[in-house]
Amino acid sequence: MTPEMVWVGLQPLSADLVLTAGLLSVLTADVLMPPGAKRVLGWGALATLITAFVALIVLEPTGWSFGRSYHGDAFATFVKAVFYIGGALAVLAGLESSESRWPRRQGEYHLLILASTLGMSLLAGAKDVITLVVAFELMGVPLYVLAAWSRDDRRGTEGALKLLLSGGVSTAAILYGLGTLSGLASSTQLELMANHATMMPTPFAAIAAAIALAGVGFKLGVVPFHFWVPDTYEGSPSPAVVFLAVGPKIAGLVALVQVLLAGDDGLRLASWAPLVALATLSMLAGNLLALNQSNAKRLLAFSGVAHVGLMLLALAMGTQDAIASLLFYTVAYLFTNAGVFLVVHALGGDGSIASFDGLARRNAGLGMMMLVFLLSLGGIPFAVGFWAKLYLFLVAWGEGLGWFVVLAALVSVLGLFYYLRIARAMFMNPPADPTPVKVDTSTAIAIAVCVFGVVGVGLYPGPLVAAAEVAARAIVP
Amino acid sequence: MRRPLSPGLADDMLEQWAPALVFLAMCFAAPISMLIGAAVLRVRARTVTPARLDSYECGEEVDGSAWIRFHPRYYIVALVFVLFDVEAAFLFPWAVSLEGAGWIALVDMFVFLGILLLGWAYAVKKEAIKWQ
Repeated sequence: MTPEMVWVGLQPLSADLVLTAGLLSVLTADVLMPPGAKRVLGWGALATLITAFVALIVLEPTGWSFGRSYHGDAFATFVKAVFYIGGALAVLAGLESSESRWPRRQGEYHLLILASTLGMSLLAGAKDVITLVVAFELMGVPLYVLAAWSRDDRRGTEGALKLLLSGGVSTAAILYGLGTLSGLASSTQLELMANHATMMPTPFAAIAAAIALAGVGFKLGVVPFHFWVPDTYEGSPSPAVVFLAVGPKIAGLVALVQVLLAGDDGLRLASWAPLVALATLSMLAGNLLALNQSNAKRLLAFSGVAHVGLMLLALAMGTQDAIASLLFYTVAYLFTNAGVFLVVHALGGDGSIASFDGLARRNAGLGMMMLVFLLSLGGIPFAVGFWAKLYLFLVAWGEGLGWFVVLAALVSVLGLFYYLRIARAMFMNPPADPTPVKVDTSTAIAIAVCVFGVVGVGLYPGPLVAAAEVAARAIVP
Repeated sequence: MRRPLSPGLADDMLEQWAPALVFLAMCFAAPISMLIGAAVLRVRARTVTPARLDSYECGEEVDGSAWIRFHPRYYIVALVFVLFDVEAAFLFPWAVSLEGAGWIALVDMFVFLGILLLGWAYAVKKEAIKWQ
C-alpha cells in the first residue's frame, strides 16, 4: 500500500482527523499547563473546530474509508457542519464561565465537548454497525460527565444519574437490536442488514428493529422515552446544556437515517407506523407538557421534545424531499435552540421564568435576541423556524399526512402561548433586581452567531434549501 | 460468505437453539423439583446451628458484613484497568494476524497504542491512580 492510497482512504475522514489531532493536543496541553493558564485550552478547542469546519468546506471529503465502513458524501458534510457549529457555540459559552466557576476543570470541559463532537462527526458517515455504535458511544459518554458537572448539587446529580441510567439501558437496547439484525443478515454492513431485513421481514427481525428503535428513542428523548430530558437540562451547567440540547439530538436522528435509509429501496417503510406514532406522540406531549412549566430550562426541554417529534416525522416519510426538510430543520433547530439556551446561560440564575422578569430593561439587547429565538421556536415568519416548519409541512401534505399537518399547526399555536410567557416576563413584568445583566464577550459572540443564523437564513433561505437538497440526494438516491 | 437465505430462517434459528432451550428448562426444573420433593417428603434439618445460617461463599469464612462502603478510588483504578484490558483484547487478534496484514497494520496498532498511552499519561498526571 502506497502513501497515496493511504491518503485516498483517509480523505473522507480529513475533518475528523483534524478534530482528533486537536483533541489529543488539548488533552496533552491540559496536563502540561500550569493551572493559571488554562484559558488557552478553550481557544485551542475553538480553533480546532473552526479548522475542522474549514477542512470540511475546502476538501469536501468524499468516498469510502476503511473498506465499506465509512462514507464521506454531501450528507455527511452537511450534518458535520451543523455539529461543528454546535460544538463551537458550546465552547464559546464555556470560555468565561469555566474560567470563573471551575478554573481547575476548564480543560476537561473543552475536552469533553471536542470528544463528543468527534463522535457525532464520525456518526455522520458511518455505514457499518460497529462504526456506528462506537461513534454513538464516543458522542454519548462525554455527555454523562458534562451532565454530572455540578457534583455537589442535588438536582445536578439526579439529572446526571437519570441520563446515565437511561443512556446505559438504551445503549444495551441498541446493541441488542442491531446485533440481532446483523446476525440475521450475517453482515455488519448497514446496507446489507437493511436489505436483508426488508427482503425477509421475519417477526424476529421486527422485534429486533423495534428494540433498537426504542434505544435510539431514549437517546433522542422522544415520548414515551423522554422523562430524563427536563431533569438533565435543569441540573446540568448551562453552557453544557447549549451542547446537550442540540448536537446529540441531531446526531440521534442522523443515526436513524443511517440505519433506516441504508437499504437499496431506502426503508421502503414510507410513513412507517411506529415512527409516525412516536413523532405524533412527541409533538403532542412535548407541547402539552411545556404549557405548565415554571422553569425556562424545563419548558425549553419539553419544547425540544416537540421539535424532535417533528423532525422524526420527516425521517419517517423517508423520501428525498422529506430528508431535505429534515436537514433544513436541523439547522433551524441548531441556531434557535442553542440561541435560547445561550441566553439562559448569559442570564445566569436558576433558569426560572421569574428570573426573566424585566430582562428587556436590564439588558435590552439580550431581551430582543431572546425574543427573536422565541419567535423562531414558535414558527413566526421571517425567522428560520418558520421556513423549517413550512418546508416540513409542505412535504408532509404532499405525502398524504394532512392530518398530521393540521394537528401540528394547531399545537404550534399552543406553543406560541408558552413561548410568549417568557416574552411577557421579559417585556411586561417589572424586574425583581434592576441591576443590568452583563454578558461576557465570548457568550455574546455565540449569541450573535445564532441571531445571524436565525435571521439570516430566515430572510434568505434559498441557499440552505439548495444545500439540503444536494445533501438529501446523497442519502436517498 | 453469506448464509443462503431461506424463508424459514426463524425456524432454523429455533432448531439451532433448541439445546439451549432444553438446558434452560432443566435449570428451572432441577431446583423446583427439589423444593417440591422436599415439601412432599417432609425433609427438614432438625437442628439450627449458627453455621447453617451463615452465607455460603465457596467455603470462605465470613468476615464482617457485605454492606460496607467501598472506597471510590477503586472505581478509578478499575477505569484505568479497563484501558489496558481493552488494549489486550485488540492486541491478541492483531498479533496473530499481523503476518498477512502488512506494515499498515503495524502502523495502525502503534497509532492506537500511542493514543491509549496518552490517555494513561493523562490519568497518571491527573493523579488518578495515586492513593490519597
